[in-house]
Amino acid sequence: MECVVQGIIETQHVEALEILLQGLCGVRKENIKVHELCLKSGPNLGSEASEVRLLCNLEQPEPTWTVRHVGGSMRGAGADQISVLVRTMVESKVSKNVLRLFYLLGYKLDHELLRVGFAFHFYRGAQITITVVSVGKMLKLHATDDSVPVTPGIQVVEVTAPASAENYNEVATAVSSFCEYLAPLLHLSKPGVTTGVVPTAAAAAASLMSFSGGNNNM
Amino acid sequence: MDGPAALGQGHTQPQQEQAAAKVVERLNPAVQQQLNLESVKTRAVSLFKAISRILEDFDHIARTNSSPKWQDVLGQFSMVNLELYNIVEDIKKVSKAFVVHPKNVNAENAAILPVMISSKLLPEIEADDNSKREQLLYAMQNLSVPMQLEKLKARIDMIGAACESAEKVIADTRKTYFGTRQGPTNILTLDKAQAAKIQEQENLLRHAVNHGQGLRIPMDQRQITSGLPAHLADVLPVADTSQTISESSGMYMKNTPPMASNAVNNQGALMQGSGSQLMGRAAASPGGTVMSSFDNTTASPLPYANSPRSGSNMMNTPSPQQQTQLQQQQQQQLQQQQQQQQQQQQQRQRLMQLPPHQQQILAQQLRQNPMAGLGQSLGGQQQFQGRQLPSGGIQHSMGQSQLNQGNQLNRQFNQMSSTANSALFNAAQATPNNQMMSNMSAMMPSQPLVPRMQFGLSGGNRTLGSQMNDQVFSNMGASNPNNMMPIQQQQQQTGSQGSFGNMQQNTQNLQPTMVPMQNLQQNFQQQRQNQQ
Repeated sequence: MECVVQGIIETQHVEALEILLQGLCGVRKENIKVHELCLKSGPNLGSEASEVRLLCNLEQPEPTWTVRHVGGSMRGAGADQISVLVRTMVESKVSKNVLRLFYLLGYKLDHELLRVGFAFHFYRGAQITITVVSVGKMLKLHATDDSVPVTPGIQVVEVTAPASAENYNEVATAVSSFCEYLAPLLHLSKPGVTTGVVPTAAAAAASLMSFSGGNNNM
Repeated sequence: MDGPAALGQGHTQPQQEQAAAKVVERLNPAVQQQLNLESVKTRAVSLFKAISRILEDFDHIARTNSSPKWQDVLGQFSMVNLELYNIVEDIKKVSKAFVVHPKNVNAENAAILPVMISSKLLPEIEADDNSKREQLLYAMQNLSVPMQLEKLKARIDMIGAACESAEKVIADTRKTYFGTRQGPTNILTLDKAQAAKIQEQENLLRHAVNHGQGLRIPMDQRQITSGLPAHLADVLPVADTSQTISESSGMYMKNTPPMASNAVNNQGALMQGSGSQLMGRAAASPGGTVMSSFDNTTASPLPYANSPRSGSNMMNTPSPQQQTQLQQQQQQQLQQQQQQQQQQQQQRQRLMQLPPHQQQILAQQLRQNPMAGLGQSLGGQQQFQGRQLPSGGIQHSMGQSQLNQGNQLNRQFNQMSSTANSALFNAAQATPNNQMMSNMSAMMPSQPLVPRMQFGLSGGNRTLGSQMNDQVFSNMGASNPNNMMPIQQQQQQTGSQGSFGNMQQNTQNLQPTMVPMQNLQQNFQQQRQNQQ
């Protein structure tokens, strides 16, 4: 299970966001370059198509693979009151044969994308991961070298934190309170809810850039 | 009395005992292990120094009117707090050695007991206390005690109120700070056009990330034309026989012949693709693994003797010759689709050569065949090499009721004395409708597979030439045009979903493996015309 929120930020403000995060999280940023393949199951595996995502981390010289299944999200009145999305998620490291395995099981490639950006992993009430990536699509199949950003001027920010059925409230609170710190630059919401950009983003970015290494006396 | 062992060991002279608590005496070694008084003293002293340093910092900040770096201050405070806590805890542990709990009075204790349980403070502490008290009550010394009490209470209340207001101010400031991001009081608003543009881009991006919209490449464009990136190069097999594995396995629509329904399309393409796929991945399917071990002259021992498919595996192992032939033909397949079309037409014509009664038998049996059995028996293209279908008599033996269940089908396979091609054939034939046929026609274009299917029909004849395959193939096609569909459906119902792909693929193979009958061609054409 995980709590997740998403937001967008204009590419011009990404550097300012990075500075802000550097100050808030206190850890080093990790670069991200992930080739994500989204596979959908074929008709032989049940009436409902299931979707599985294979993430190949291309950052290291030796690519590592992860398989990820995202399930349904929590619904109901309680879920509406929480400002983050709580959904089931299963993730595991796998060997590089995972793609062949899923193809043999009957899964078909639905779409693929390339995420390039950075991430911070830190603990602040919960183990939180914030990733800021530019999403690219490949015009030719599997051609990760020539990828084109889906939206050149906008990048995706995602804040996730693993949770369990017992503690998801605390995790949700931790995530939303962390998101408040990012308020001057971007607005985060449940995936699927559009937010628009924040009017203060430009001013906040300017102020962050002017004190590089900035003090975050919050 | 459970007095301190140390004091017990000391001299019992009252004068000394009065100052025992502060006198540096040799403690009981046990106590000393628990708490090294020297170290406690050192820690207390260092703690005191740290606190005084912090206070100095605050003084400095107050004097210079600069705002403190709260992060640092809080950090320092927490450190000091922690250290104090640790010291207190340590002392608590050994306080037993310095705490008196008198239970019994005897001659030994009588002298020191009053001292120990006296609540009078030590002189230094007492003096300290007194001075503090004087300081506090300096202004009120003249007043009566109740007045002094009231004043003290008022003072406490004032301090409490000050704390509360400070907290409130902090909370309000925080709210307004975060409120401004939404309140456009003095903030530039984006103009409408720009906002709309950004909104549109945002939707695009969100949908791409969450649902993959806009990222799907149409099936016809999913060709691996350039080299694969490094992380995929060794994952997706790029042997020349299986260039299209990624696409065939992933995108089943490649080389899709025109088909009636989408489902049929998928199946047809799946058959085309997965054939090569299975070829390339010898270890992938159970059928695949038994590929190499089959000797078409004998019923070879089953690699998966205990698997549910073991019955059908007998016929799933092609001979090495056929296997290599098949691989070669798969290569050709990728390059010569037009030839496939022509060849399949020829096959259909050859199918017409099957005697009519056999065709009907095939049709009957196919109608009844559950997909599970069929799928299991159709392990792969290679699996049918070397198979020979039994004569019509054996086909008759496949009762309709038996064919309706995959397990039973397997048993039938086991019972077959001849190569299990017959069972496979019957299984394939048992699918009732025309859907199979349309799939078969779809399969036709995947030419190289077809000629390779040496699913011999003639009982004693083990010639596995391509001609036979063609004939068989066309025979299958003739008798049961649309059998694929029900096979699929049945397969899903029976739950043997894993074999679906195999089954698809193998229907192509089934066709060639039908008994080459010389007179089928005309019949086939007639049937196809009737059906179409």
